[in-house]
Amino acid sequence: MSKKLIPPGLTYLANNIVLNDNIIGSRKKDGAKWAKNLKFSPNTETVFFAGCGYQYSSELETLMSLIRSIDKSPINTEITMNLAIFQRKLGLDLGGVYRKVMTRGGEADAQPLISAVKVLKKIGIDLGYLGEDEPCCGGLLYYIGMQKEFNSHAKDVHSRLKAKGVKEIISLVPSCTFTLKSLVPKGAGSDDNIKVRHFCEVVNESLDSLKPRLPQKVKVTYHDPCQLSRSLGLIDEPRRILSAIENVELVEPTWTKGKFSTCCGGGGGFEAVFPELSHTLAVNRARELTETEPDIIVTHCPGCIMQIEGGLKELGVKNVQVLDLAQVVGMALEV
Amino acid sequence: MSVFSEYKKNMMGAAHNDRIRLALSRGIASYRSNVNTALEKFPHSVQLAEEVLQIKAQSIIDMEKLAQQACESIESNKGKAYIAKTAEDALELIGKLTGTDKLIVKAKSMTSEEIHVREYLEEKGNEVYETDLGEFIIQKLNSSPMHILSPAIHVPKEDVAELFSNITGEKLPPDDIGKMVETARKLLREKYFEADIGMSGANVVSADTGTLFLIENEGNINLATGAPPIHIALVGMEKLVPTLSDAFKVAEVTWRYANYTIPSYVSLISGPSKTGDIEKVITYGAHGPKEFHVIFLDDGRTELAKNPVLRQALYCLRCGGCLYECPVFAVTAGKFGDKYFTGVGAVWAAIISESIEKAASIAYSCLMCGRCKERCPMEIDVPSMMIELKKYLVEGEDNTAAE
Repeated sequence: MSKKLIPPGLTYLANNIVLNDNIIGSRKKDGAKWAKNLKFSPNTETVFFAGCGYQYSSELETLMSLIRSIDKSPINTEITMNLAIFQRKLGLDLGGVYRKVMTRGGEADAQPLISAVKVLKKIGIDLGYLGEDEPCCGGLLYYIGMQKEFNSHAKDVHSRLKAKGVKEIISLVPSCTFTLKSLVPKGAGSDDNIKVRHFCEVVNESLDSLKPRLPQKVKVTYHDPCQLSRSLGLIDEPRRILSAIENVELVEPTWTKGKFSTCCGGGGGFEAVFPELSHTLAVNRARELTETEPDIIVTHCPGCIMQIEGGLKELGVKNVQVLDLAQVVGMALEV
Repeated sequence: MSVFSEYKKNMMGAAHNDRIRLALSRGIASYRSNVNTALEKFPHSVQLAEEVLQIKAQSIIDMEKLAQQACESIESNKGKAYIAKTAEDALELIGKLTGTDKLIVKAKSMTSEEIHVREYLEEKGNEVYETDLGEFIIQKLNSSPMHILSPAIHVPKEDVAELFSNITGEKLPPDDIGKMVETARKLLREKYFEADIGMSGANVVSADTGTLFLIENEGNINLATGAPPIHIALVGMEKLVPTLSDAFKVAEVTWRYANYTIPSYVSLISGPSKTGDIEKVITYGAHGPKEFHVIFLDDGRTELAKNPVLRQALYCLRCGGCLYECPVFAVTAGKFGDKYFTGVGAVWAAIISESIEKAASIAYSCLMCGRCKERCPMEIDVPSMMIELKKYLVEGEDNTAAE
């Protein structure tokens, strides 16, 4: 019984949460950079929760493609991952190194966050944002079996949010949303709960007054993120939103949708343990989705976007775009 | 090489095998269409499954009591019944009952796979035949099952043709499945009647009457349990339910979610064969077995039942539906698991496997996507079980919810 039983790829990510308060091990202020041109309310009663996924997605993508290529090479991933931890102990900022060497600006990846914020403001929500002070939800710790670490992290998250006077969170990343909504209160052992809603719930409620419209007809298929559909039960909401957008034709796979939707292959930290296999599953899912012949694949999770884009690339599909629902709504509301 | 590295290597080996993926993608498509047809034709199945879940949940709590009761029922039916605490106890018992130099015909049983009954009997100098077609193929290939219901799901017909050609010395055409089935029938036909012992498992057992339910389509279970003079059944204790009518419900839900409207055969066996046709004197061993032995296997099950989250693994009816919904299984087949597969398999591995590293490897290869739970008639919450199991693996027993 020990942490030695946790595959190294996961301990690497877990260490990042514990040491750097984000999954990728970046400096916090790099994460909050996406929001620099947005105006937020100074009132932090209702805050937007950005999550690690989109804030650090350029790093995450680079890191994952690196892990994948290592996984395919004769060098063992386990060794490499241990090496990564060792390097960091020496004070190397790996996230930073990868970012400088291999990524583009990074702000393009945060587009779903920017769209989500603009949409929420259009709906009329007095929206605050914690920026650098936004805690990492720490969900991964829970999912990989590090319950003690998760519980102490959850206490910290809870008290930090409370200290900022947060009463309600509107969150975009499905797994962060579920963690903040269900796991953090349990882990923190607190009854004084903060209300947590997902972006699509908020949009769905205001749908009648929004009149979203895209300039031209598009065929859209929707991929349910596992955490959004099966954990949070948000299956109808994204579909209602998409169907309400003028000029959107929703086409879906016959079987693999809603509660029977196929995982993109990035669930439960799987991609850090079985990167090559994870990519295979992404290709399989991308194939199921492209069989509906869409112009756009819409989903609602940074992990799913990364996976499905990888799958499409492998399949050689170039004319299909993968977007977060927040981006589509943003476009349809011209925000 | 570490346990995890070796496990991962095997997973990737399967993932790189296009034939496995092709065979499985066909299997998955046909499962989905068949199960939908079966559920549409018998729509009460969904509600029946909810009822069965209640029956199972209570039965798992009462497992030890039910095992005692079932033993008494079987004894009063003039059969012999035993409770084996460990795999070793069960094997020793089976060894004593069979002896050596026997011809044994076996029906497919996951529980017997779990404790390696065939290998044990062969070591003792017995000749053992797996009679389920898939299991027969696996035995002859010296391979291991890749699916709980369709053990040879990963073997394409061409490979079966070649295998059978080698056994019979007659060249079989690579795409004549009818011919392959006929060959297996011929190879096994005599064995049922020459056999000293027939062995089986059971899908569900009613404690009040001591009745074993065996669901099948091929007819091999009928023959293997009916023709030889001795029938030995090895049954996991989790298969017990209180009453005969409970058992009927469990059986129907099992085959329905295993994608059958109705299987060809369901055998109900409660005791040895008997007759009173001559002067009303009850005499045992009429046309069927004279001896009927049932071994209920614990092997960690009562321990597992104490954990309120992990206990769900014991609700499993082994319908196999979840496997068809697992995106990882679709690529790696039975390499995602040990003796039992996918997420549920990780829990079983932790309980019955000697290697905790193996259980960890399986647990960390679960996506925790939860689609299996949507399919499962017992609504087994695999993601929650994985989290609980990992917690147990990482932090030790002191922190399990059972404490």
